[in-house]
Amino acid sequence: MTAVLESEVITKTFSGIQALSDVSIRVDAGERVGLIGPNGAGKTTFFNCLLGILAPDSGTVQFQGRDISSYPVHKRARAGIGRTFQRIELFSDTSVREHLLIAERVHNGTGAFWKDLIGLGRPRRDEIDRCDDVLDLLGLLDLADEPIEALSLGQGRLVEVGRALMTEPTLLLLDEPSSGLDRDETTALATTLRAVQAEKGFAILLVEHDVELVADFTERLYVLDFGSLIAEGPTASTLAMPAVRHAYLGNLEVSDG
Amino acid sequence: MTLALIGEDFVRALLQGTPPGTVYALIGLGFVLTYKTSGVFNLAFGAQAYISAAMFFKARQEWGWGIVPAVVLSVFVIAPAIGLTLERLIFRNLRTASAVSKLVIAIGLSVALPALFELIADYKPVAGRTPTGIVPDGSSVFYDPTGVYPFSRDELAQIIVAGVGVILLGAMFRFTSMGLAMRGVVESPRMTELAGIPADRVSALAWAISSIFAGMAGVLIAPRLNTLISNDFFTLMVLAMAAAAVGRLVSLPGAFFGGMGLGWFIAVFNTYLPRWADDHTWLEPFKDNLTPSLPFVVLFGILVFWPAIRRAVDAADPLSGVDPPPPALAATTRHPLLTLQTRIFGVCFLGLVGWLGFTQADVRWIALLSTATVLSIIYLSITVITGFAGQISLCQGAFAAIGAFTVFQLVDRYDMSALTAALIGAAIAAVVGAIVALPVLKLGGVWLAIATLAFAFFFDAVIVKFSWVGGGESALFSGTQVPRPVIGPFDFGESDRAFLALAVIVLVIVSVAVIQLREGTIGQSLRALRSSEVAAESIGISPARARIVAFAVSAFIAGLGGAFLAMLEGDVNYPKNFSPVAAMFWLVLVVSLSARTVEGAIQAGAAFALFSPVILEGSFLEWLPYFNEDNLPGIFPISAKWRFVLFGLTAIQFARHPEGMLEFGKRRATQKRNDRYYARDAERAAAPEAAT
Repeated sequence: MTAVLESEVITKTFSGIQALSDVSIRVDAGERVGLIGPNGAGKTTFFNCLLGILAPDSGTVQFQGRDISSYPVHKRARAGIGRTFQRIELFSDTSVREHLLIAERVHNGTGAFWKDLIGLGRPRRDEIDRCDDVLDLLGLLDLADEPIEALSLGQGRLVEVGRALMTEPTLLLLDEPSSGLDRDETTALATTLRAVQAEKGFAILLVEHDVELVADFTERLYVLDFGSLIAEGPTASTLAMPAVRHAYLGNLEVSDG
Repeated sequence: MTLALIGEDFVRALLQGTPPGTVYALIGLGFVLTYKTSGVFNLAFGAQAYISAAMFFKARQEWGWGIVPAVVLSVFVIAPAIGLTLERLIFRNLRTASAVSKLVIAIGLSVALPALFELIADYKPVAGRTPTGIVPDGSSVFYDPTGVYPFSRDELAQIIVAGVGVILLGAMFRFTSMGLAMRGVVESPRMTELAGIPADRVSALAWAISSIFAGMAGVLIAPRLNTLISNDFFTLMVLAMAAAAVGRLVSLPGAFFGGMGLGWFIAVFNTYLPRWADDHTWLEPFKDNLTPSLPFVVLFGILVFWPAIRRAVDAADPLSGVDPPPPALAATTRHPLLTLQTRIFGVCFLGLVGWLGFTQADVRWIALLSTATVLSIIYLSITVITGFAGQISLCQGAFAAIGAFTVFQLVDRYDMSALTAALIGAAIAAVVGAIVALPVLKLGGVWLAIATLAFAFFFDAVIVKFSWVGGGESALFSGTQVPRPVIGPFDFGESDRAFLALAVIVLVIVSVAVIQLREGTIGQSLRALRSSEVAAESIGISPARARIVAFAVSAFIAGLGGAFLAMLEGDVNYPKNFSPVAAMFWLVLVVSLSARTVEGAIQAGAAFALFSPVILEGSFLEWLPYFNEDNLPGIFPISAKWRFVLFGLTAIQFARHPEGMLEFGKRRATQKRNDRYYARDAERAAAPEAAT
């Protein structure tokens, strides 16, 4: 297996507080990897370092064999890292299909300015078709012309996934996709995601604190606590490790169990 | 001994810079106070300073009041009354609006307030009537402690009064409970409110204090001016903005020392630059030109290089919320039948205007229509940068002037065709636009507005005066002639009607280009950036690149329009057409009508060109059967200043209707009729079902 993403010894301190120390993870092509940890463990900080929103104090991020540590956010996106947001981030005043279209056109948009001027900036048939394919895959085709304000949170998450898919990512970062969803919606989301991934073959890094989703969805797991990795390995066995249970459930629960 | 060591000149410069420095600091403190307690970066302080100074001047010189009652009236009654009125009627209701909306409103006010004051108080600046200060015989030397720099009584008064103001403010913060509350609001407005402190009262107090400071600064600085005109107070305000920027708009001590430092820096620079220029001849052209613009250079420099500001960007809007996204354009929500009707009406209307313009109109009307057309081109540049990209640029006048001056220079020197020169001018404007935008783009919002304002004033004070731009000092007065183009058999100088046709063609081309950009990838990217920057980045949109393109396109259009305005008038007419203050009014006009649509820009162009001659001068009555030029009712002509007041005050609506008043009205009308059409559609759909 070839590594899609490798982060090496990422360290970040905020005014003296060690938010991350020497965090190294690796995601292989087509793999579903989870990153979990209790609140305050440094998941979001790490996520932001991967995406270029925060600059780590030290450490590198390798993506498909290239060092992308110095890339700004949008360049990492162009390199093939798609993402979704914990607090949903959609473009207002736009339909579902327009969301995917803008991503599609930015993705293929070389010389956009001149194309726009002579009227080639309008969506072409094949672009619309590609968007509709992805919408179909996500089961959103019926909602294609709906304004995003009319969608439920779960559907909005799927639109985010669809928008990210239009940029043909090799790695999809999911930032707590279950937040705000109930159990059924979460299960449905996981099912859809698995189907889409089977079709497209990208790798997924799931940052999550819903242990059930992680246990169900991921193949391999990294566990963060207090800014350091405390465990890694296949999902089932990692979740069973005492250190992980301790971090998650505290002493009392462990002795009870 | 020490004096000899650091140099007598240097000490003299410091002493000389102290009085103006304290005055800058005074307004700078006002900026910080209002910005932190109500989230408003009040660009109208310049206008408020002007009003107080003019009121004082009027009371003293026209009414013959004594100094004390005149100060009480202008500084302690009028100034806080204006500040409290603004706070209570406008800004208190807008606490959760975005910082940019509040800024637009403040710009509108700074356009409206001076005009409103001049209309109400019947004040006219008269050249040669020099304002006096708050001490009798102010220009005489009062005291010369070191034998280095003789302070005049006015300067001493500036130091003492401004100093006492600062000390009182400090004392209030330190020792009173209200001061404690205000300190809390300044530190963290939300926490203070949670603690049960009435933030409204605190912010009202802050407005009163900072308005008194602004008014006081206006009265104190007035003796330095030859004539009291409102534009000079914009310059004063920009200086104070630089002072506030040193404190990242949020630190009171920062603003105080920023103001003092600025006063000193300018004085030192003024002392030494002429000497350096003697040694290095290449500095010569800067000697005369750089001095008046130093504040703007400093402000721009602070914005670009002051490291604290980069960090301040996110944290700088203490109270601002996020505006709800502007609603969909009326045109996109229309029922198909309504779209058809609108189009038919539009074609008929344009056809009628075209027919009237080209066959019936007399010379005066052709001139008005041409002005409206050319201004519409310029206003489309605001549609791009403000309507699409959501950025406030206050230097569109400079971009337009670059286009105009390029035509002037190229035709004058190389005898180039005016049309080619106009395109080159637009291209130069685009390059300058991109260069200006580059260093400040990351700042965005309020900071971008400040930076563009600084550039506009810098252009006004320095660049225009170079002989390779404005043709040198003499040309600016004697005229910067610009010919109209000649294309093949058409000489557009011969016929005003032909030039109008050319201008309309250019307007149509630019309009189509703007619509293409709006519907194309660039426009969609800008729209995406406006509603969620993080999401836009996550699909690979580069915010900096998209905004630089927007800036360059906007500057290109402005440059083209500016060139045509110069060709229309046969002269660049820089001070009348393109000064920073004129450009501010453009922005106000366009955003208060509709900044997001092409029609909006054209309507704004028509409003600027036609509102004053047609409505205010009463020409519209001449269309009625009874009236003619000689028997118009006595209220006409109404002063053209009402234009500033009306549109300036319309900008107040920006926070509630960021799409502009015209677009808002259009949307409401569209909705009503849409409802009717859709209801009828539904009935028709139901009818056959019922039949079966």
